[in-house]
Amino acid sequence: MMLGAFLLTLALAQPPHQEPLAPATPAVAESSATPVEAHKEGAAAPEGGHAAPAEGGEHGGASEVLMHHVTDQPDYRPFGLPIAFPSKHLFFLLVAMGLVILAARLAIASYKDGAPSGVGSVVETLVVYVRDEIAIKNIGHEGAKYTPLLLSFFFFILFAALFGLVPFTATATGNLSVTMALAAISFAAQMHAGISKYGVVGHFKNLVPHGLPAPLLIVMIPIEIMGMFTKPFALMIRLFANMLAGHMMIAALLMLVPLTAAISQTLGIFMIPISLGMALFIMFLEVLVAFIQAYVFTLFSAIFIGMYAHPAH
Amino acid sequence: MEPTGLAYLAAGIGSGLAIIGGGLGIGKLAASAMEGIARQPNASGDIRGAMIVAAGLIEGATLFALVIMILLVIK
Repeated sequence: MMLGAFLLTLALAQPPHQEPLAPATPAVAESSATPVEAHKEGAAAPEGGHAAPAEGGEHGGASEVLMHHVTDQPDYRPFGLPIAFPSKHLFFLLVAMGLVILAARLAIASYKDGAPSGVGSVVETLVVYVRDEIAIKNIGHEGAKYTPLLLSFFFFILFAALFGLVPFTATATGNLSVTMALAAISFAAQMHAGISKYGVVGHFKNLVPHGLPAPLLIVMIPIEIMGMFTKPFALMIRLFANMLAGHMMIAALLMLVPLTAAISQTLGIFMIPISLGMALFIMFLEVLVAFIQAYVFTLFSAIFIGMYAHPAH
Repeated sequence: MEPTGLAYLAAGIGSGLAIIGGGLGIGKLAASAMEGIARQPNASGDIRGAMIVAAGLIEGATLFALVIMILLVIK
């Protein structure tokens, strides 16, 4: 399942990022960098500022640095390695995948006489929680069948988000293509839950409650079919926006220092503790958000699967 | 005013309005959940679970609005 997920992500993540980004970047740099640059040079030059040219020199305007921080980059060379990856998010997606597999293998290896130790006991707590509190509670007795998929969602999203908080890395789930692939897998699981139990015709009949008067059906059927696609769409947007927003916040708060230093050096130095303090606060919040989003994505997938497995009669 | 400027303005005002709505929704939800837990501490686990689900749905609706704002900005 996991492997299928990544093949799909790989296929989805590659093409849309290379064409639109490459021509767009120079245009943005041209239009947005010039006014800010001019302003910075003008303000910082009389004071002989050190911070402003160093920060603003090669990168351009503040908005461009922000976008560069959160968007995907083609031909990414991780940590100066000679091999170029097709994209930055693809590399960190592979890293997150490797971490998930590593954690699972370590957990399995730590079992001695049926009792886990070290990493194993942490992973076991999460696995049992996902199985009992998310899968079984929301899907019912078929929940055990969907537990491996839900666990893959949970650990992948958690590891991708937590690893993205390490400096000089990126969050793979902060890319719309990746979250779209995850949501598509969730959608496939939802359809599988309904179709495997009731058959194709029965599944679509179950979308609307039985015994509705015919005029109501005209309204209900389009609404239910729209709802079928809105659910995974909401999953996709929620995860993407949460991952993107946190990283943008951290970058924006850290950028307060060079931006204020361009106005006056004293102000810039005064801004350092404030900026770092706020960025640290958001960083802690991001750790929390990583767990919450992993939980919410898994929970909503389980609820939707349960919804199609046990339709209202 | 140029059309691009108007789009930026709309994105700024719109995202503010979306956050007001989402914040009010989640705030009301949290207030009720706290009240529920205070009245019935035994049910705190169930209430928390239901609260997170509802908060996720409200957040989803808010994020839809924010996506429209992003589209306005990058258009």
